[in-house]
Amino acid sequence: MIVLRYSRLGTRRFVSHIDVLRDFARIMRRADIPVNYSGGFNPHALLFFSPPTPVGVGSEAEYAAIDTALSAEETLARFNSAVGADGRASAAYEVSRNPNLAGRISAADYVFPFPAEAYDFSRGLELEYVKKGERVKESAGDRILAVGERGELLALTLASGNVTLRADRVFDALRRELGSAADVSDVLKTEQYVMADGALTSVPDYLSSSCREKK
Amino acid sequence: MENFSDKLLPLLSQAEKPSRYTGGEWNAVKKTHPVRARFCLCFPDIYEIGMSNLGMQILYSEINSYDDFACERCYAPAEDMAALMRSHGVPLLSLESATPVRDFDVVGFSVQFELLYTGVLYMLDLAGIPFRAEDRGEEYPILLAGGPCAVNPEPFADFFDCIVIGEGEGVDSAVLSLVAEGREKGWSKREILRRAKEITGVYVPSMSEKGEKVVKAVYPDFENAPYPLRPVVANTEAVHDRAVIELYRGCASGCRFCQAGFYYRPIRERSPEKCAAQAKEIVKNAGYGEIAMCSLSTGDYSGLYPLMDGLRDFVHENKVNLSLPSLRLSSFSGDIAQESRRSSLTFAPEAGTQRLRDVINKNVTDAEIDNIARAFEAGYDSVKLYFMLGLPTETDEDIAGIAAICARLRELYFKARGRRGPNISVSCAVFIPKPCTPFQWEAQISFEEMLRKQNYLRGLLRRIKGVTFSWHGAESSVLEAALARGDRRLSRVIERAYALGAKFDSWSEKFDWDAWRQAFADCGADMDRYTGAIDTSAELPWDFIDTGVSKRYLLAQRELAYKGVTTHSCREGCNGCGANKLGRCTII
Repeated sequence: MIVLRYSRLGTRRFVSHIDVLRDFARIMRRADIPVNYSGGFNPHALLFFSPPTPVGVGSEAEYAAIDTALSAEETLARFNSAVGADGRASAAYEVSRNPNLAGRISAADYVFPFPAEAYDFSRGLELEYVKKGERVKESAGDRILAVGERGELLALTLASGNVTLRADRVFDALRRELGSAADVSDVLKTEQYVMADGALTSVPDYLSSSCREKK
Repeated sequence: MENFSDKLLPLLSQAEKPSRYTGGEWNAVKKTHPVRARFCLCFPDIYEIGMSNLGMQILYSEINSYDDFACERCYAPAEDMAALMRSHGVPLLSLESATPVRDFDVVGFSVQFELLYTGVLYMLDLAGIPFRAEDRGEEYPILLAGGPCAVNPEPFADFFDCIVIGEGEGVDSAVLSLVAEGREKGWSKREILRRAKEITGVYVPSMSEKGEKVVKAVYPDFENAPYPLRPVVANTEAVHDRAVIELYRGCASGCRFCQAGFYYRPIRERSPEKCAAQAKEIVKNAGYGEIAMCSLSTGDYSGLYPLMDGLRDFVHENKVNLSLPSLRLSSFSGDIAQESRRSSLTFAPEAGTQRLRDVINKNVTDAEIDNIARAFEAGYDSVKLYFMLGLPTETDEDIAGIAAICARLRELYFKARGRRGPNISVSCAVFIPKPCTPFQWEAQISFEEMLRKQNYLRGLLRRIKGVTFSWHGAESSVLEAALARGDRRLSRVIERAYALGAKFDSWSEKFDWDAWRQAFADCGADMDRYTGAIDTSAELPWDFIDTGVSKRYLLAQRELAYKGVTTHSCREGCNGCGANKLGRCTII
């Protein structure tokens, strides 16, 4: 099984997760990557994805596990021949079994289009959004796991997975607080983490700990 | 030129399904080198619908195959996006380069059916292009229309500079070529149109003269006609997300209500070898997991078995589904059904009794309906049936026949499978008399009669277990009939309806019947006059179009209908409709 680290940049960031899943089956076919199928009445390609990134938010760290007999190098090369520049993969890892990233990922790094020091997170952060037609107010609470910077910009590590804090909602809250004109499409996911031995471990490190990375 | 991609970006984050508006799809063509002329292909409905249209893909790939032309696309934005665009001063843009639609040399609309007419105005409005050709000066692009509705272009003729009657392959590009030449040589729009009028299939409404005929364009070599082997793959799930191969144009069956069956004559088949090769190429280039065969009656395609043989190994190896839509009962065969997945079968008997099926020349017999038993034996559990209400000469007995067919199918199912019942879904449209058919002079049944017949059938079907019934809205069927046989006066009605808020008329939840009724009243147009019976001696608004099929033939077919006499399939011998004067019928 091969795990690809791929991006959703440019206009690709506006394609919803469900459409990405559909698109992957097509990419596999046009890339000529032989994927194993499930059995049963409705066989489907064995493809497994990291948790969804909200529509509009960019990412350079999406992951998809592909059940194929191809090598990591070959999968990477073929994949990149069959997607546009905005959706290319940057690395491929060979793993012995499905790493179940959807279930195991518990955090993700994001860079926001605000100055690193713009907001004092010790004040807490109130989120406000509409869910199923209802206005919801809640606190980000302890789901902001770390505050830092990348370049001059604000970088946050947010809970992701079973307990999750959506980056687009954090963005909206910060924009409101800071009176900024920035757009959610300027938010970028830069890494995802799994909890391994009680510590957050980046997905590349996690995958490499059990196998050699092949770029 | 202003860069609109920057202005578009902040709107995308607020729009529902923003990937409708971003472009950048796999196989989309973005030409960055200078070209002689640019064409914007517009579809007057939302992205997911427009991206499923084969004609759009054909023309897009044909025009882009010329190095010195560029073709881009534009679909009607949903209302949320349109509101955002208006409030931010962003005009309608092409997907490929975010160029304002009004800055193209030629803007071509695909008009697939009558309820999309307001969609054209909606898009022109967003583009900042005046609706009527006479109000557009040299600074505006040449506006072109094409598609099935061109069979009677009069209701929308005032909106366009030229209208392509018949097949767009080769014609759209010829118009574009002329526009490019005109630009280089400094011709006026009028001069360009004067020359465009000489191209077979091109109708220039502003220059039409009484008694002048426009001959329908027929692409001469269908086998080798331009075909999109690298179709643009939709960003978000389109209605039809699959590889489509076009088996043939035209139809041999001659159902008397069917416009496409007459309009797309002469019948031209593509060889199964070519179709199979195209299917494989498209799957390779686009990655689709399904191959669909497109034609008016796939089961009648003479190369169906060789084609399926040619694809059998390929679909198994590549885990691709082969789907068979639009089967006629008489052409159904159990072994064909075996090839595709056992889910649901679709048939269109159209009428409930043999008598009425003879009237409409739907050559399906009761014995053939019994043929569905073979599908049950092959493992199918559900059947979708299409019927029409309000066909000429229809009585309640014919409607009761629909229920009788459902009951019969249940009986066959029990015999074949001996347990539970099948799922039968019955879908009923309302008969709409359409131009270029033997029924073009017929009256549509009244609105009240539509409701009565629908209720009557619903009552009958309720008594049969396992049957679900769906029907078309009576209001939109009346409107479709009025617009289908409309004349030039209706352009004012369409404009008025749009001004009153009518748009996306084909979406039942958006359909605004009051706006349309008001529009007809405001313009002094009587809807009943357009939906009522027309005297066969009267001049028809579309008489100036030569589709190949003679009026004499249509009249003769009408006579046969009233006598309940059927006409055999063109495959059993030429019936002399006249269409082969425009191109050779390849099945004879």
